[in-house]
Amino acid sequence: MASVPKSQPRAPGPPDTVEERFRQLEMTWTAETGYLSSYQDIVEHPAFREIIRLGTAVVPLMLRDLQERPRLWVWALPEITGADPVPPGESGNIAKMSEAWLRWGRAHGFQC
Amino acid sequence: MLEGIESVFPRLQGADWQVSSTPDDQYNCIAWAVGVTTDWWWPIGLERTYWPEGMRREVTLQAFCEAFATLGFVVCAGEELEAGFEKIAVFANDQGVPKHAARQRPSGRWTSKLGKMEDIDHALHDLEGTVYGSVTLLMKRPVAI
Repeated sequence: MASVPKSQPRAPGPPDTVEERFRQLEMTWTAETGYLSSYQDIVEHPAFREIIRLGTAVVPLMLRDLQERPRLWVWALPEITGADPVPPGESGNIAKMSEAWLRWGRAHGFQC
Repeated sequence: MLEGIESVFPRLQGADWQVSSTPDDQYNCIAWAVGVTTDWWWPIGLERTYWPEGMRREVTLQAFCEAFATLGFVVCAGEELEAGFEKIAVFANDQGVPKHAARQRPSGRWTSKLGKMEDIDHALHDLEGTVYGSVTLLMKRPVAI
């Protein structure tokens, strides 16, 4: 495991909205894994795992981010939703995976 | 931004290095090492990452060596610039687990994509340390002069 200093995600507190908590965790996750290429180091990071545990409430936030540009949220969305809309042969192509998730979002009533 | 990178890779402090791109989630260091900017290359993460078809999906130097061999790379000994060849370097930690790859530019300098962050130009060993480990494998392939 790479040794970028890690911190345990702070427990969610009542004053935070889900989006505030999501952005805090994203900031921690990016600061501590942004320089890594290892898939397992990235998705096993405590902040990423806590983002997953936020559940379906963060799906619209991730889809909104994907509208702006391709993002690694395509690795979180299957775990949260149980869906896997990425066509065979597009694995690893983050742009095409992002497009597949946006299509999935629109088909499921999300504004994206 | 520069201070952030230098805090993660302390050997860059005071060294000659430059940022050469903006952050981009679409490709990582392994892809960049082989000239790809559309895919995230990693052996683990079936259906989430790209890895050459039929190559073993494990995070070992042997697996990386075999994957790069599909693109014409062969193991070599030295990191010096060789006319007619493009070189890549794989960084691994103390346990021999690959963590990073860099590519030699025609100038002899090296270029790296830092995870989902920026590309930088640097001296090969200036990224060595606790995050990426050290240069453990060098490979080369012929290029048109």
